[in-house]
Amino acid sequence: MVIDFGSFYNFPYEFDKIFHDVFNPHHYRRGKASYPPLNIGEDENKIFIRAEVPGISIDDVEITITAKDLVIKGERKLPEGRYFRQERPSGIFQRIVSINTPVDANNVTASIKDGILTIVLPKSEASRPKKVDIAIG
Amino acid sequence: MSIEYQNDETKLEKFSPSTDIVESEHGFFMYMDLPGVCREALTIDLDENTLIISAKSATTLADDEKYIDQEFSDGEYSRRFTIADVVDRENIKANLKDGVLELFLPKKQEVKPRKIEITSG
Repeated sequence: MVIDFGSFYNFPYEFDKIFHDVFNPHHYRRGKASYPPLNIGEDENKIFIRAEVPGISIDDVEITITAKDLVIKGERKLPEGRYFRQERPSGIFQRIVSINTPVDANNVTASIKDGILTIVLPKSEASRPKKVDIAIG
Repeated sequence: MSIEYQNDETKLEKFSPSTDIVESEHGFFMYMDLPGVCREALTIDLDENTLIISAKSATTLADDEKYIDQEFSDGEYSRRFTIADVVDRENIKANLKDGVLELFLPKKQEVKPRKIEITSG
């Protein structure tokens, strides 16, 4: 993949990932990637961004959309006390997703269910592929 | 987070969920990250001294949705803990909220620290 005409500009990250996979072929990315892990999907009209954010309520998350990026910011606070064992990540997190497609920023929706944050970005009209009829004369 | 590799029988990735254990005067609180798990997909078993937690996560995709980039996947969560004798097994409480399982394991009454009155005589 040299030039990506997809909905995301993710080349630097992809490059890092390839580099990492070559040198650590048996390491699955889970737990290694940035926090929170994201799944990005799309269909014809929408872009779906999902993140694993267990224990975080929608009020603790700030989602901002700029011309090119979607920024997910938040803080995960853990209960205080005497810890016997601590494995869960905590603290401030931020993830930036670069979007290559114009989206309808006014109609973005976000929800959290069972610890999964789902953000739906409708693609704006201009970005949808149009079929052009070519008359053969 | 430790990862066990793909199991051929189930074809689902197996994960050992991250867990925090906090001790308090009355017992132990356990917090376990189980993103994508609903109440129906979670089972907690207590087999003598072993607490076994198993769950399955399932993400619902929109029709025709294709993944562009994937950093986490659905899978089976499973983890075992050995429970100390000080825990009152009859009164373990569990609560699943926003993808976090909260367990409270109370200490038995007799092992709680007691203050002993000193009489001078």
